[in-house]
Amino acid sequence: MFDIGLTHYLVVSIVVFCLGVAVMATKRNAIGILLGAELVLNAAALNFVAFGRYRVPGLDGQLAAVFVIVLAAAETALALAIFLNFYANHATIDVDQGASLKG
Amino acid sequence: MATALQACLLLGVFIPLASFVFLAFFGSKLGGAARRHEHAHHENSHGHAEHGHPAAAAPGEPLAGWVATAAIAASLILALIATFIWAGGDGESRRAWSEQAAHGAALWTNLGSVPIHFGVNLDSLTVITFLMVTICSTCIHVFSVGYMAGDPRFARFFCFLSLFCFSMLGLVIARSLLFLFIFWELVGVCSYFLIGFWFEKKSASNAAIKAFVVNRVGDFGFVIGLGLCLVYLGTLSLDSAPAVFEAGARAAGWSSTELSAAAAAVPAEQAAHAARLFTTLLWGVPLATWLGIGLFCGAIGKSAQFPLQVWLPDAMEGPTPVSALIHAATMVAAGVYLVARVFLLLTPGAQMFIAVVGCITLTMAALIAIVQTDIKRVLAYSTLSQLGYMVFGLGVGAWVGALYHLLTHAFFKALLFLGSGQVIAGCHHEQDLRKMGGLASKMPNTAIAFLIAVLAISGAGLPWLNVGLGGYFSKDEILAVAFYRHFNADKPAAEHAAGERAAGDVAALGSGVPVLLAANESAHAAQSHGDDPQAGHAAARPAPHAAPPVSRVPAALFWLPIVIAYVTPFYMGRCFILAFLGRPRDEHIHAHARETPIMYRPLLVLAGLTVVSSIPVFLFRPFVAHAAPGHAPLVPAISGDDHALHAAHQWLPAIVGFAWVVGLGSAWLLYRNGLALAERIRRAPVVHLLHHVLWNKFYFDHVYGFVLVGGTKVVAVICRLFDNWVIDGVINNAAYVFERLARFSGVVLDNRGVDGAVNGLGGGLWSLGGLLRRFQTGLARNYILLAALGVCALVVAVLSGGQASWALALFVAAAAALLTPWEQVRRGLMGER
Repeated sequence: MFDIGLTHYLVVSIVVFCLGVAVMATKRNAIGILLGAELVLNAAALNFVAFGRYRVPGLDGQLAAVFVIVLAAAETALALAIFLNFYANHATIDVDQGASLKG
Repeated sequence: MATALQACLLLGVFIPLASFVFLAFFGSKLGGAARRHEHAHHENSHGHAEHGHPAAAAPGEPLAGWVATAAIAASLILALIATFIWAGGDGESRRAWSEQAAHGAALWTNLGSVPIHFGVNLDSLTVITFLMVTICSTCIHVFSVGYMAGDPRFARFFCFLSLFCFSMLGLVIARSLLFLFIFWELVGVCSYFLIGFWFEKKSASNAAIKAFVVNRVGDFGFVIGLGLCLVYLGTLSLDSAPAVFEAGARAAGWSSTELSAAAAAVPAEQAAHAARLFTTLLWGVPLATWLGIGLFCGAIGKSAQFPLQVWLPDAMEGPTPVSALIHAATMVAAGVYLVARVFLLLTPGAQMFIAVVGCITLTMAALIAIVQTDIKRVLAYSTLSQLGYMVFGLGVGAWVGALYHLLTHAFFKALLFLGSGQVIAGCHHEQDLRKMGGLASKMPNTAIAFLIAVLAISGAGLPWLNVGLGGYFSKDEILAVAFYRHFNADKPAAEHAAGERAAGDVAALGSGVPVLLAANESAHAAQSHGDDPQAGHAAARPAPHAAPPVSRVPAALFWLPIVIAYVTPFYMGRCFILAFLGRPRDEHIHAHARETPIMYRPLLVLAGLTVVSSIPVFLFRPFVAHAAPGHAPLVPAISGDDHALHAAHQWLPAIVGFAWVVGLGSAWLLYRNGLALAERIRRAPVVHLLHHVLWNKFYFDHVYGFVLVGGTKVVAVICRLFDNWVIDGVINNAAYVFERLARFSGVVLDNRGVDGAVNGLGGGLWSLGGLLRRFQTGLARNYILLAALGVCALVVAVLSGGQASWALALFVAAAAALLTPWEQVRRGLMGER
């Protein structure tokens, strides 16, 4: 067997990040997009932790990861509030219906 | 005293000006209200007063006339005061007054470095001419109130008359040639206004234009003379110009007479400059002579001398008082006055020119006067002839005689014209002598006054008794000087040969004037050119002379005036006899003829003055004699009192003393029974031809009409063709070229180039905007995708070592591919909607 190193974490992080982006870009459901965003944020958090473990001594990486998690929670709360308003206006949470900013 | 004199004369000048201004603004508001229907009636009859309807009152009548009359009468009173003061002074005090007046002159302006002063030229001639002008003017004003009665422009007539008086009096007192010129033009324009007073008549307005234009020709010469004066003498003042001229003549070796005090005081530099007048030749004639001729040209125009005499007879179209005042007594004499004033600026050549012109005029005009049938035209030609005598007199050096004749002539000619005005007004504006006759019984006062004037102009007098009227003394004096210069001009031996040669040339060449001048100048050149001029003179004449050499005048210049002295009484007698004596030839006119007190009273006053002015020892002649230039270095100024004229005074009465008897007598024989006898003579073969020539005034008008007017027309046609073809062609072609250029610039450059650039830029930006619009889909997913793509591009850029262009290209390509509305493109390609 081979040792698990930084690279492995980063690959996982990239995969998760890409999945997140793909979910965000393809889902029409607002909740789905929120899920994608959570994936992207978690990929970032994973990166922080991995770099904190392997490269930067101390607790900086973990600290940043905790920040990301708090940020994600706050962001989710905000996003859900937006979705509620969106729903109140459009009676749906299909984001493609909210194209009134079309140029 | 000098101040009082100046004040009198200046006030006398400006009172008529005030009257002019007043009448110009308020003239037609004076007096009774205008009656409209009468007004219209008079317009139709060319403004002539209808004497059958004396009730017609024009605007301003008669008050406007009396205002003008009062103004000129005030001037007359001032003139009388001035005359009394002047007469009371002896020679010494008069000189002092003149000098004081000269110092009192006010600086008006500077022409370059030449100061022009306005002031009174105070001397005997000024005073006496001023008096003459005011007397004649006053009489004529009073007469005019009667003559112009009922004229619709009554007030305007007196307005102009006042302006004329102002100008004429200003001319008389002017001390600078420039002021003289200004007033000269003012009298000219008044003359123009008044000749054309009845401008509804085509002939009157034409005559006014003719007078004005012909005078411009003369004034052209005047201006040249002024210019020469200004440039070479450096002064236009009538006192200093002769001094500089004399100093110049001396510096050029022309004159060997003793210098006057004023000339001796001229700085050498200025004298040397003035000497160039004598040394510079133009067409073989020195500029000094041209100066004299130039100034005389002004006189030729104003005094209607040959060859500019054509305007004066036509000027008779004006109202008769105007003919009397302007075209007989005063303005036309201004030419003579001018020549007298610039007498010291003449050279012998210029003087000879003047004598010849005067002689031609007096002869020609007298001959034409014989055949005229219009009473005013007879007088017009007699005026020409008498002016010719004056000019001729100045030409031969009879300064005193000429100016005395000017004064006497003014009175009797004003009288003659006013007499004819009374006749014309009394005969329903009939001017044709052939329709008059026998008027003496109807107009006794007029007839007597007219007869006195006729006798005066004829030079009636009793030789050796020293009794005579008007022309008897004044014309006689001119003829006496001519006699002296023809027969006993005594010349220093040195000049004799040259003088003889000049005289011989003159006689041989007849009246070829330029040649004649050249001959005279050559005489002078011969006289002044030796090895050394000064030495030559010293040898010929050890002592300086007090007077210039007197050259002999050719025979024609003596005999023609003598002959015309016989013709004058003939045509004047003819005029008088045809008008006043014999049987009436038109019963209707004779029956209605009458005279009016307001008109004949001025005649009687003038008749009295004619007699008074004929007394050679009283007032007029002594004043003129006192003003005579005592020191004339280049040309002789000969007075009738001169000792040298003794022989002339002895012989002249025998030659011409009874001319008036002969002339009047032959007129009586010919015309006492009306025109029948004269008509028979006129039909005789040779006489008929002569009559034709005279009747057509020696064809002057025809020649001028053909040569000048016709020539002008030919030039005008050439100019028109040039204009139409050359100038218009150039302009039209230029316009065509510019039009094409403008079209190119407008359509191609502006519309396509500039507008294309601007619109293209705008359109391009618009399209770009349209393209960029596509990115704004409003879909959050698209934005996320773009952000992801951006991240990818960033990654690529970082991984490729900073070569961002690849990443950018990739990003744009991906974005474009993603955002192209493929569905629409497909539809477009398939031709669907």
